[in-house]
Amino acid sequence: MDVGLLGQFVANGMMLGMMYALVAVGFTLFFGVLDVIKFSHGDVLMVGTFAGFSTYLGLSAMGIDNAFVQLIGVLVVAVCSMAFLGAVIARYLVLPLKSAPPLNILLITLMLGTVLREAVRLFYPDGSNPKPFPYLLPTDTWPFGSFTLRADSVILLLGGLLVIVGVHVLINKTKMGLAMRAVAQDEETAKCMGINFTMIVLLTFALGSGVAAFAGVMNGLYYNEINFSMGLLLGVIGFSAAIIGGLGNIYGAILGGFLFAALQTVGAVALPFSSAYKDVFAFSVVIALMVWRPTGLIAEKSSERV
Amino acid sequence: MTDKSKDMLIGLAAIVLGSVFLITFIAIEDQVEILVLIALTAIAVVVSARMGISKRISEAFSSNEPLMNGAVVVALLMVTLWFREDHFPLLMIATVMLYLTACLGLNIQFGYTGVVNFAGAAFFGVGCYTAAVLNQHTAIPHLMVVVLGGVAAALIGSILILPVLRTRGHYAAVVTIAFGILFKTFLEVNDTLGGPQGLKVPGMEIMGWNFNSNIEIGDEIELSFYLNYVAIGLILSVLAFALTRRVERSWIGLSLDAVRLDETAAACFGINIKHWKITAFTLGNFLVGMAGAVFAMMLGFIAPTNFAFGDSLILVSIVLLGGMGSPWGTVVAAGLVILLPEKLQAIQEYRFLLYAVVVILILLFRPQGLLPRGLREYVPGWRG
Amino acid sequence: MTKGHDKVLAFRGLTKRFGGVVALDHFDMEVDEGQIVGLIGPNGSGKTTSFNVLTGIYAANGGEVEFLGQDITNWPAQKVYEAGVSRTFQRSRLCVDLSIFDNIMIGNHQHLNHGLMFNLFQRKAFRRQMEESYEEAKELMTIFDPPLADRMFEAVGTFNMIDRRRIEICRALISHPRLLLLDEPSAGMTEDETRQLMDDILVARERIDGLSIVLVEHEMGMIERVTDRCVVLNFGQKICEGEYREVASDKLVQEAYLGVE
Repeated sequence: MDVGLLGQFVANGMMLGMMYALVAVGFTLFFGVLDVIKFSHGDVLMVGTFAGFSTYLGLSAMGIDNAFVQLIGVLVVAVCSMAFLGAVIARYLVLPLKSAPPLNILLITLMLGTVLREAVRLFYPDGSNPKPFPYLLPTDTWPFGSFTLRADSVILLLGGLLVIVGVHVLINKTKMGLAMRAVAQDEETAKCMGINFTMIVLLTFALGSGVAAFAGVMNGLYYNEINFSMGLLLGVIGFSAAIIGGLGNIYGAILGGFLFAALQTVGAVALPFSSAYKDVFAFSVVIALMVWRPTGLIAEKSSERV
Repeated sequence: MTDKSKDMLIGLAAIVLGSVFLITFIAIEDQVEILVLIALTAIAVVVSARMGISKRISEAFSSNEPLMNGAVVVALLMVTLWFREDHFPLLMIATVMLYLTACLGLNIQFGYTGVVNFAGAAFFGVGCYTAAVLNQHTAIPHLMVVVLGGVAAALIGSILILPVLRTRGHYAAVVTIAFGILFKTFLEVNDTLGGPQGLKVPGMEIMGWNFNSNIEIGDEIELSFYLNYVAIGLILSVLAFALTRRVERSWIGLSLDAVRLDETAAACFGINIKHWKITAFTLGNFLVGMAGAVFAMMLGFIAPTNFAFGDSLILVSIVLLGGMGSPWGTVVAAGLVILLPEKLQAIQEYRFLLYAVVVILILLFRPQGLLPRGLREYVPGWRG
Repeated sequence: MTKGHDKVLAFRGLTKRFGGVVALDHFDMEVDEGQIVGLIGPNGSGKTTSFNVLTGIYAANGGEVEFLGQDITNWPAQKVYEAGVSRTFQRSRLCVDLSIFDNIMIGNHQHLNHGLMFNLFQRKAFRRQMEESYEEAKELMTIFDPPLADRMFEAVGTFNMIDRRRIEICRALISHPRLLLLDEPSAGMTEDETRQLMDDILVARERIDGLSIVLVEHEMGMIERVTDRCVVLNFGQKICEGEYREVASDKLVQEAYLGVE
């Protein structure tokens, strides 16, 4: 196999891994704090991306052409609006169902995802067709033989890495992060210690959703195209990745994201007769992994009072 | 006149009114008229609930079960015969029956046992493709093909059963979702099963009686061939309904509920969790597969786009909307979910969105569904 | 009160760890046939954990459990139940949406026919089994809570906590177990209700041959009145055993409960 081509696959895989990892981190945060599977996560990502896209359109219409400014605008709007949406979802759809069987929250967020997806498809101008996402990053490329390193890939990877490090620092080195971890461990005790449970839940959802929006914009910048159903597959993949790594474990989620991307890449490389099989391959492996290690590669910390 | 007789009459009257509504609803074309009809019916339902009539109807149903169930079947036959010469209404009625069968299967899985299945459409598709392949390439009698469709779905379901068993709630959900996506992608990507363009399915034929040709009686009368499929659909759904009822009203149903409600306690009292989850999952998929096989033969053509994640969600919505573990609820919900968008052309485009919103509202405000499941009666009316 | 000399239950060096926490530390205990043994100790001392290990919910990290002469260590919960061990839970674990009869029948799993043919097609035979089981359940319920015996087909959720406790005990007794594990059955009850409960348990014991009971309780009056022997746990270790009076005046026990001066 040509080294250059291999390098291409690897670079591509890294990008995918980074995006999946970011989505998976969101899932794992929600689960950790509230024992909740928020299945609308992927579609929130999609809405964030569209929000960013609309911002771009708006800025261009207002005559602001500087790519850097546009990029900042897109990111800020996408992340903040989705952080807000995440908090709203938590407040009105998830928290009210806290005492219902967990299946209900899964179902309600699944349905919400459908609502978001269909709403964009039906109500966004020409929503059912893919939209070209602008080139807001430098388009320089550096050829290394048959392998081309794209500048935007490097920037995106670094950006993703920064976000992950940022989340890590937030969770482990700040007071808010401490509160989040306390709530994830034991809701009642955390409340007794004076932690505002509702506020922490809303913040956690906001954080997860904001990170997802970032991943969505990343996706748009890399592929230069977005469409209303991009969230569904990304969501399922992100969820699978979070599960592989063990729900509730942030590092597991990151590991799971890269692992899934690796699976897809291996699938695309090893099954050259149709790289479309890569999804079939990757999901089959996920299912097989779950048979072997039902609670993920890094065990889920769960305790049930008997 | 005794109370019991009065209840019986009220119940029968309700069935007659329901049939009239159904016939009118299916027959009229004008969108405005349909909306008016829906509004009037909704008001009537709410009013009768307030006046306690709904309660009496449900009492009629539980104290005179054989009679009421028989009356419903007769009523459905009447409705069907009304439309004996029209293709489209009969196609819709048959579709409702087949979806009902599938949803009753799903009901056993998660209404009773708590095993989530987000790949319902995929298992339905397994039944469809089994029928397509077997009818095209073999001479296996078509009734057998229907059963084989169910068997195929049950077998493929058992591949998933290991991961579903070894995991709790949400993990099992991922597995079925992943499988659903896997199934559809697999179908689209390779051409052996027709690829994205789909497959043609030879229609049903039993002992020389071709299901796909209109029935001619004398020189004047030509009945739509869909009547055949309605008949099969009716038989399947009645069987599925009876099976569901029997299961629920037995020690099996009790064990399934125990598995759903409290696995740990159930285990401490000897209930084999794995055994019941496998039984429920397999039995449910069997029903779904059979419904799929008949559906394929009825449509004559199937394609992967019918078996996407959204379609699985519709099946789940029907079970939720009707009421988890409530067979009559599933009947009503299947009717609503299939018929409404067909008649209200305006909402066709929006139907996924609407279903999703309705389910969200149900989950927030009436999680027990339209016709909530009651307490178990091992023998209807018997209380010791 | 038949006091056989046969050993019904024995823990030998039973050990259970949760990560760094040692919940059971080489715990030894014996129960003879027909005895009522009290298992007491401060909160967190491992009483419920010992039940959970015995009934197969947790796997032991060391030691053995012997029941009726058989080594049942780490047997799955279902097998432990079938061997004749039944229990109640500290936090009531009834299915509140199901009827009283349903809940009691869950406990009767061993005696019910769960075959597909029987349940789906042999309805006459099923009906007979159902009616017989109903009579049994009703009789048992009458011992503990007569008003409830007439309401067997109502949802458990409509009843208060004390009634639910009694229903849970019926669920544990319906299968005629050899060993009954009661986990704080009197929690939340008044003195009269507690007294009534213990009387009812003793009556039920008369009806079930050879029933032995292990009773976890904080209500010392009940322990004193009803148990033949006590075992005291602290930090997963047995620190004392004997009749209640001996145990109550033991210095170690007092320190465990009240602290060292």
